[in-house]
Amino acid sequence: MSGKFKISYRKDMALFQTLWAKVWLGVFVCCMIVAPFFMTRYQLSILNEMGIATIGALGLNLLTGYTGQISLGHGAFLAIGAYTTGLLTGKLGIPFLLSLPLSGLMAATLGMIVGIPSLRLKGLYLALGTLAFGFIVEYIIFHWDLTQGDMGMAVKRIGIGGFTIKTQQHYFYLIMSFAAIATICAKNLVRTKIGRNFIAIRDRDTAAEAMGIRLAKYKVMAFAVSSFYAGVAGCLMAHYQKWIVPGSFDISLSIAYIAMIILGGLGSILGSIMGAILITGIPHFIIYLTDFFKESYPALSGVIVDFKLGIFGLIIVVTLLFEPQGLFGIYRRAKVYWKTWPFKY
Amino acid sequence: MVKILEIVFNGLSMGAIYALLALGFVLIFKSTGIINFAQGELAMVGAFICYNFATLMGVPYLVAFFITLILAAILGGIVNVVFFRRMVGEQMFSTIMVTVGLASILTCIAGLIWGHDVYAIHSPFTNKTATIGGIVLSQGSLYTIGISIVLLVLFALFFNRSLLGIAMKGTAEDSDTSGLMGINVKRIHMVAWAIGALVAAVAGIFLAEQSFVRLVMSHTGIKAMAAAILGGMESIGGAILGGVIVGLVEGFAANYLSGMEIGGFHFGDIKDVAAFAIMIIVLMIRPHGIFGKQKVERV
Repeated sequence: MSGKFKISYRKDMALFQTLWAKVWLGVFVCCMIVAPFFMTRYQLSILNEMGIATIGALGLNLLTGYTGQISLGHGAFLAIGAYTTGLLTGKLGIPFLLSLPLSGLMAATLGMIVGIPSLRLKGLYLALGTLAFGFIVEYIIFHWDLTQGDMGMAVKRIGIGGFTIKTQQHYFYLIMSFAAIATICAKNLVRTKIGRNFIAIRDRDTAAEAMGIRLAKYKVMAFAVSSFYAGVAGCLMAHYQKWIVPGSFDISLSIAYIAMIILGGLGSILGSIMGAILITGIPHFIIYLTDFFKESYPALSGVIVDFKLGIFGLIIVVTLLFEPQGLFGIYRRAKVYWKTWPFKY
Repeated sequence: MVKILEIVFNGLSMGAIYALLALGFVLIFKSTGIINFAQGELAMVGAFICYNFATLMGVPYLVAFFITLILAAILGGIVNVVFFRRMVGEQMFSTIMVTVGLASILTCIAGLIWGHDVYAIHSPFTNKTATIGGIVLSQGSLYTIGISIVLLVLFALFFNRSLLGIAMKGTAEDSDTSGLMGINVKRIHMVAWAIGALVAAVAGIFLAEQSFVRLVMSHTGIKAMAAAILGGMESIGGAILGGVIVGLVEGFAANYLSGMEIGGFHFGDIKDVAAFAIMIIVLMIRPHGIFGKQKVERV
């Protein structure tokens, strides 16, 4: 590797490795601030969905990519967050700023309960346990009067102080600021002791235990952090959609999140964001394509709904078969290539 | 008493289907080390193929049945070549995720070909009953149980007596060493996938016999996985026992718990999650299933 040499630990651990990283981030933030003034409502709504997905994907990547614990029930934690905030703001009249952390905490509590068996379960068994958890949560939401079953539940608008969030622009600033906070927290978490312990557990948990890392504490913590993120994402999603039904939190949502982190790159923060953007964008891109071809092939529009899950599946398979490090791996390789060009090393 | 016997019988016939699906898991797992989350989807595709021939094209039922078996085995082979040939020996996470992706791809393709409606296969046993000792039993269920027992016995014999079966067991144990011993590992994997898909198709057709052909029937696959886990992924006997347990518990839960209501919570369709609830409990108590062996890990 050529280029930068780091001569102190401080520099190696720095949040921004180079000045350029800071500059580009500043440019990006400025773009995001002015973007709503130039975009249509539809384009903004896509960006909002991407922002929510980013929070959820970061959470799943902390658990699966960094700690190596498979979770096939991430959608259930989003459901828990969404329904918690729906009930808290709707039935008890609790303000949004309080219900947001509460729905995260609710999801985190249940996540810890799911995490406890993970001390004994590994790989396949954990995958099945979380999958079963997802089905059970969906079943409970369907059959409980409190959550109003498949009728769905209306969720109030967000009110902060005396201000009510109404337009897509308002949502954009709100969701993006939460996504930014989530990203900063995740990025910082993984460079602390906790993050390094997570990575050690992923690489070989028996060895990590022998080195003195308390497996029980950190595995349960990974589950708690991950489901806290999912709960917050679910809470934002509920307020953004204003109407939640159990059907939207089924296994396909969990698969979409897994597709995000696999496509983006396991164990990378930037990868989670890229994956969230792409996987959320793909259905909209398909809709755009079908609108385009609708005149010439009218039969196409009915078929498209089926495609979504199939394409997510295909993305997971193709990424794992040909580029296991995901988009982040491609990005890193491209960066190294241009840095050392025209030399090979 | 008669009611309980009926529940037991219906539970057994569902259990036989779960056992067949679980057998498919165990078979593929034992020889390739891959846990196939798409087993239910393979069963669903099998049922749709049978429906396509028996009902849409009017082929006699038995002929359609055997055509389905052949096509399912070919499908299994294709899946192996396209997806899993290069996945052997990869990490558990990658292989599981590839099968999860395969499951969504199969559902998508089946949805595109056959649509989202509910269909029925016309079979010789539809709506026919037999009476044994005062209990009315459907003939379809009787055949399901009978054929499942025959198949399960055949597989037990195959794994313990035939050269190919023993070779498959050896490959599962250590594919590198078995390759050195002169076993054609690629062929073994191919055979395992073909048989696994074939067994799944049989289960799918029997399942369609008991209910309908539709896309969501693939969920049965996950319940069957619960059955396989119950018995411990390694053993065929365990898979059968797990399947029977899941079938019976579902039957009893559906009869005695449905319609109950506690504090605004309705226990309708409890059948759908009973299997998962038992599985979680069993995993908490015995993390490697009833017959599973604890593995010694090296760092």
